[in-house]
Amino acid sequence: MSPVALAGVPALATSDKKADQAKKGAVPASGSLLEVLNPRGLPPPITLVPMAKRLDSLDGKTIYLVSDGFPGADTFLNQIAIWFKKNMPSVTTVYRLKAGGFADDDPKLMAEIKEKGNAVIMAIGH
Amino acid sequence: MGIPSAPLVTKAFKDLALLNAAKRGMPHERICFTPHPVWGKTPEEVRVYVEGPDPVTGKPFMREVVDALTVPLSEEDKKVGNLSVSVGPATFTDTADNLQEFYLNNGYTDFLPIIVPTEQRVDQMLKATSHHPDDVVGKMAAGAYPAWSYNVRQVAANAVMAGCRPEYFPIVLAIASSGMASLFSSTNSFAFAMVINGPIRDKLEFNYGIGALGPFAQPNATIGRAWTILSKNLGNGGIPGDTYLGSLGNNLNYNNVVIAEHEDASPWVPFHVQKGFKKEENVVSLFRGLGVVPGQVARGSSANENVQFDYQMSDLFSTFTGFFGALIIADPLVAARLKEQGYDTKEKLIDWLYKNTRQTVKDYKSRNYAYLFDYPRALRGDEPWATWYKLPDDAVIPHFPRASDFNIVVAGGQTNAYPQAGNLSYGVSVSVDKWT
Repeated sequence: MSPVALAGVPALATSDKKADQAKKGAVPASGSLLEVLNPRGLPPPITLVPMAKRLDSLDGKTIYLVSDGFPGADTFLNQIAIWFKKNMPSVTTVYRLKAGGFADDDPKLMAEIKEKGNAVIMAIGH
Repeated sequence: MGIPSAPLVTKAFKDLALLNAAKRGMPHERICFTPHPVWGKTPEEVRVYVEGPDPVTGKPFMREVVDALTVPLSEEDKKVGNLSVSVGPATFTDTADNLQEFYLNNGYTDFLPIIVPTEQRVDQMLKATSHHPDDVVGKMAAGAYPAWSYNVRQVAANAVMAGCRPEYFPIVLAIASSGMASLFSSTNSFAFAMVINGPIRDKLEFNYGIGALGPFAQPNATIGRAWTILSKNLGNGGIPGDTYLGSLGNNLNYNNVVIAEHEDASPWVPFHVQKGFKKEENVVSLFRGLGVVPGQVARGSSANENVQFDYQMSDLFSTFTGFFGALIIADPLVAARLKEQGYDTKEKLIDWLYKNTRQTVKDYKSRNYAYLFDYPRALRGDEPWATWYKLPDDAVIPHFPRASDFNIVVAGGQTNAYPQAGNLSYGVSVSVDKWT
């Protein structure tokens, strides 16, 4: 995704010709030109985060099914666990409810996943 | 963390999820989408989602999930480095009419006509502060997003747009310095309020008499409006589907609830003094929550000789969430009556309200917000929720977790003895004098 699109860069109101006219004081028939300030603040730069290496396959792996607490996520993840049991029985699924608010970190859970899990499927509500 | 993941999001939040992933440095994050909503669906209905297609790609949902975890990364997925993000040129040039359209079409406004921020107008605004135009004022994010930063000049441009007079600018700067956006991303459609204290209320002719919360004075109208406009432009708030997800929205966001406290007519200590400021200091205090309700709906004694405003206020709160606090806005007639009843300080009234606004655990657990917001806190062991969730259904608990959830201000024109109350939590108080 273009970083320009992320900031919503506007279609410019003016061409270079109009800007030059404004600076020279030229007044076109349609009305005086005004120079106005861009009211936007300054977005932070984006630091690209490399994605974690993928697994060769899910066979025999442990997948953590994590809910961020949004209603219905537990029901949904339970259906995913049932799907794995039926379709990929060698996969072990472990359900966890992340502590705290939706956007809060849960270092204890992350440490557990890092130690005992191979992958995460996370249901995210807002 | 180094563990491959497959985030799941419902289709309604597709733009939010993709944009947020990109802003946080993972533009190719493998997000899998489900139909919307998931909340309220039965296991059988949700099974259809799991066994069906991803509504965005059309591919089998679980195939997407498995692929998200197993398909090897591309070179793009492995990229590192920084990307700068541009908001366009520092100035725009066109006719006044074209600029109105331009600002409107690019999401810089509240969809009402603005005062275009020419250099001359911005310079006039800048004269009202001793701070240098390039001084950084603060950072703001309209939710769990990377925060944008802004300087004095940028705040000035937004104050001009809102129609503020230069003499209002220190208040707008104080608000901007708080970093608190008045447009917040939540699906809950939050409302925001500010309380103005100090001599500046009279100096700038704020209205705190008849129609105190209404459109009856320029500072009340434009400073409130400026908060919303700068939240859009400086905090990147208010982009539907991206940084604003309020399902119904909140009409109060147009210019927020602006309350200049009627300090002279109040029998109590002004709000800012309660927060540690001196009476002669000029302060703006900010609140966030869900909205404001009128006191006329409250139950309580109806006999004129024995109107019990404490009971009325307590009754008002029965439909409030305990997730946010209670901001009581008392007409001076109400405040005077409460003082006659023995509440000679705000603290005494707050203590009574906290102890006497109660609910059963069964009632509490049945509330939407309790499951959404409090239950996760209970699981984490946070109090008092951890204890509340262990109590039997018939146990009685306070409606609000803490006495500090209550705040009281006095405003109004004394044409009748009505309070209003906001399901609003106190956020922060900021010195205006610092920004003069």
